[in-house]
Order: sequence, then C-alpha cells, then structure tokens
Amino acid sequence: MALRESLAYAETPTRAVATNAAKAKQRQPRRVSRQVARSAAVVVGILVGAVALWEGYKAMGQLTGDVIPFTSIPLPVSSSDYAMPHIWVIFDALMQPANAGTTQSLLVYYLDQTSVTLREAGYGLVIGALIGVVLAVALREVQFLTRGVLPWLVISQTIPLVALAPIIVVWAGSAGMPSWIAVTVIAAYLAFFPVTVNMLTGLNAIDPIHDEFMQSINAPRWFTLLFVRFPTALPNLFTGLRLAATASVIGAIVGELSAGTGLGIGRAILTAAYYYSNAPENLFAAVLIASLAGVVFVQVITIVEAIALRKRTN
Amino acid sequence: MTINTPVTDARPAISLRNVTKTFDAGGGLVHALDDIDLDIAPGAFVSLLGPSGCGKSTLLRVIGDLVKPTEGVVEVNGRSAEAARKAREYGMAFQAPGLMDWRTIRRNIELPLQVQGVPRNERRARAEEMLELVRLTGFENHRPRQLSGGMQQRVAIARALAFQPKLLLMDEPLGALDEMNREYLQRELLRIWRSTGTTIVFVTHSVSEAVFLSTEVVVMSPRPGRIADRIPIDLPYPRTDETRMTEEFYHAESRVRTALHSVLEPVQVG
Repeated sequence: MALRESLAYAETPTRAVATNAAKAKQRQPRRVSRQVARSAAVVVGILVGAVALWEGYKAMGQLTGDVIPFTSIPLPVSSSDYAMPHIWVIFDALMQPANAGTTQSLLVYYLDQTSVTLREAGYGLVIGALIGVVLAVALREVQFLTRGVLPWLVISQTIPLVALAPIIVVWAGSAGMPSWIAVTVIAAYLAFFPVTVNMLTGLNAIDPIHDEFMQSINAPRWFTLLFVRFPTALPNLFTGLRLAATASVIGAIVGELSAGTGLGIGRAILTAAYYYSNAPENLFAAVLIASLAGVVFVQVITIVEAIALRKRTN
Repeated sequence: MTINTPVTDARPAISLRNVTKTFDAGGGLVHALDDIDLDIAPGAFVSLLGPSGCGKSTLLRVIGDLVKPTEGVVEVNGRSAEAARKAREYGMAFQAPGLMDWRTIRRNIELPLQVQGVPRNERRARAEEMLELVRLTGFENHRPRQLSGGMQQRVAIARALAFQPKLLLMDEPLGALDEMNREYLQRELLRIWRSTGTTIVFVTHSVSEAVFLSTEVVVMSPRPGRIADRIPIDLPYPRTDETRMTEEFYHAESRVRTALHSVLEPVQVG
C-alpha cells in the first residue's frame, strides 16, 4: 500500500520534468535567435548613438564657436575638422588607396595589419593563459607560494609597459629572435595576470558541501583539483580570459610601437599619428579598426565560453 | 545497548569515548561537544536530535572524521574514524544535495566510484542500480538543475550509497524539503536502509521525523553539547504512513518531545 503510493508519487514529478525538458529543447532555437536579434539591436543602437553624439558635438561647436551654449566656457575639444573629422570623412578615407601607387584600399591595408597584430595577440593569449592557469594551480596548492609570490605578480603588472616593451624587444633582438616573438611575449605578459587572479578565485570558490563530500570519500587532492575545483573555476577562467583577450591586444599594439618592424596595426597607428596633420582621418580610421579587432577577439572568447558552459545553465 | 534490532555482532559499529570538541571562536573557547559517550550497533538507525547549537552536526562530523575531536576516542568498526574514512566506509549526505552541475545525474553518482578506480562499465552498472534504488531510472542523462529539490536529494543519497558504505551519515538531508516530499523520502530512506542493512546516523531537528525513522533517538542539549537522553523507539518495522497515526507513535513522540523540552532554554521555546 505504502509502496504503491510512493511509486505514484515518484512518477508524477518524473513525467512533469521530462515534458518540461522536451519543451525547453523545442523552445531553445527560437529563444537563441531572439537573443541574437536583441543584442544586435543594442549594438546598432549604441553605434547610432555614438555617431549622433560625435556629429552633434561638432555641429554645436561650429554653431557656438566652440563654447558651451549661452556661456563663455570653452569646449574641452575643438570641433574643427582637424581635431574631429566628420564620420563620413573617416569612412571615406578607409575606401581610398592606402598609398600612392597602390590600388589596395586603406581598409584592406588596416585589416591586413590587424591580422598580424591579432596573430601576435592570439599567441600571447594562449601562452599567457597557460602560464596563468599553471600559476593559479601552484598558488592554490603550494601554501607558501600564495603569500610569497602573489605580491610579486601584482608588482609585475605595475611596471609601465612603455618602459618594459622596448627592453623585451631589445632582449629578443639580441637573442636573434624575430620581432613578432617579442611582441608575443609582451602580449603574454599582460594576458597571464587576469587569468591567474580569476582562476585562483575560482579554484578557491569550491562549494563547502563538495569539499566535505570529497573528504568523506577520501578523494586525493589531485582528484578534487581536477574533477571539482577545475569545473568550479571554469566560469572564472572565462572571465579572466576575456580580460586577458583585451589585455593581449593592447600588449601587442604597444609592443609593435617598440618593435622595429613595419607590421601590425600598432605600427599603422604610429604612422597615421606621424602624418596626422596631412590626414587626421587616417588616425581615427586606424583606431576604429584596431578597436573593432579587440571586440572580435573578445567575442570569440565569449562564444567559446557559451559552448563550454552551455550544459550548466538550462 | 538499547537497540531493538537483533544484534549478532557484539562490537558496536560506532563507539565514542569521552569525546570533547572545543572551537576557538575568537572571543573564547566554545564547547561544541562535552564528554560524549555513545555506542551505535551495526545496522541501527540512530537520529541525533536537538536545538540548534547542541553540536549534533559537529558530532556527525566527528564520527565522519571531517572534524577532529579535541579529546576522546572515536572508533568505527574497531578502528579509528580516520582509518575508516580512508578505507572509504562512509557515505555522507548533507542538507543541500550538493550535486555537481557540470555532471549528469549518472556521472554524479559515479563520482565516488571514480575515486575508487572502479572500471567504467562497472561504474555505469552500479550507478544504474543506485538510480533504481532511489527510483530515478530514466534520469541518467539529466542535469541536476533539471530535477526538483526532492529528486536531487534522492540522487545525493544514491551518490552516498554508491560504494556500498558500511555507514551512512546524514546531516538534515530532508530539512529543506516540503512536507509531502519529506514524508515520501522518509519512507524511501527506511526502504533503502532495510534493503541495504547500512548503519545510519541521521541529524534532524524534527521530532516526528526522528521517531518515524529511528531505532533510537539521541536527544542532545546545547552549550555545551551533551547527550541529554537516549530513547529507543520500539515501533515495529516496516513503518508506514499509518504508523504515524497510531497511539504508539504518539507516545514515542511525546517521550522524545518531553526529553527535548527539558533541554530547551525558555527563551528558545518562545
């Protein structure tokens, strides 16, 4: 009697959950596409807003003679075409030939240079991420390292990059390495830190119940690390990787400024800055392309994260 | 011994002698457990009952070697608690299911077997057996979040039982559930206990739960944590929902309640 009752009770939630899961599966593609549409709308909205602000500021500055309306307080930045080229002038510059004597447009040239930078940043990110994860595990598992090493890692990140980059370039050069290796090292140097810090937080954030349970079954340390701490830290790892992605792009660009090659979007930015008085729009165009490249880079990480964690959030 | 089930093995499954546990809580020493003596027979179902702060959870963790006693001796099946834990004689379940989101239900149950190095096929077979035991066959590939709280708790019990432990230690495992689920899982737990013969130590703050499940209820008093009374429950098994409505059940409940009230400070009653 009691058995039959409990069976009946067991079956009710069973069916309910099974049908819910089935429904969720059907619903998912539509929900995803709606999400994509919504975030695309947000991006377009922000871009339109940014253009409107830029051009609005220029128009207002031209009308008032670069002062805040009805006051004599000067605007922080001149609205002249020299300081702030029109958006359409910047886009037009991208369509023009990159150099006299070539048919390659500035856009293609910048994208080419950006791919060089992204490759350096990509290698730097992978190396930095590996070092970051290994360091986090070492800091977590070896007690005296936590107290002894962590402050030095913090100090390592406070050294000004503009001072460090040329040193690394010179060292790599004297070792006979190509300059892209120096740039990669600089990118890795910036990338490892956010990975270490976030990963360490994640490794320590194990659920106390999981911890007690693993102790109760006498799980070895490495087992708990691999099968409980690592999965627990995965979301933190991706947070660190996203920060590391932007840091590695910045590292690569700054590295290129110090490196002797003529390659990379960093070099292109430097050249555009050098010839600013001739063509101010070129610098804005280069910065625009460089920042888009950073966004693409972070988006790649976000997509990998969504795939890696898709089963956890249902 | 006050256990009503027939005991063939004279040696207790769990034996505590003069167990004391003090914590250094900043401002001074807190006596979580004070001079605990307790024997639990093999196959018994013993509930630790008492108000919050009576040390019942600490006592459970001392038995499970998750907390070391400050003084005293804990023996499990004739050896130290640490040796028993290292020999993987414990299964533990907690107030929250504590399942791992990144694993399927089957892989959650397999985890203790994976630690033991049980081969994959055998692991899978055992996990399915355990799922059948807690009546969740068909949910192997679900994720913990797709299950209700009661179902998750059943998975946690299955996980604790996976390597057929000699001892099942449970820390208010049904505390977070609604009444329906709770009574259902109480029946289930008794069924599992009777089919596995496992010794169970069960922490609870519910009088009727303790009476319904146990062969013996250990009532504890707070500050310092002490054993105030040990009350054998002589109700026959199998116990069903009808058992809850019998006069004998009411009498057993009253006895436990009286013992509990005598340890409660007036402030806590209100």
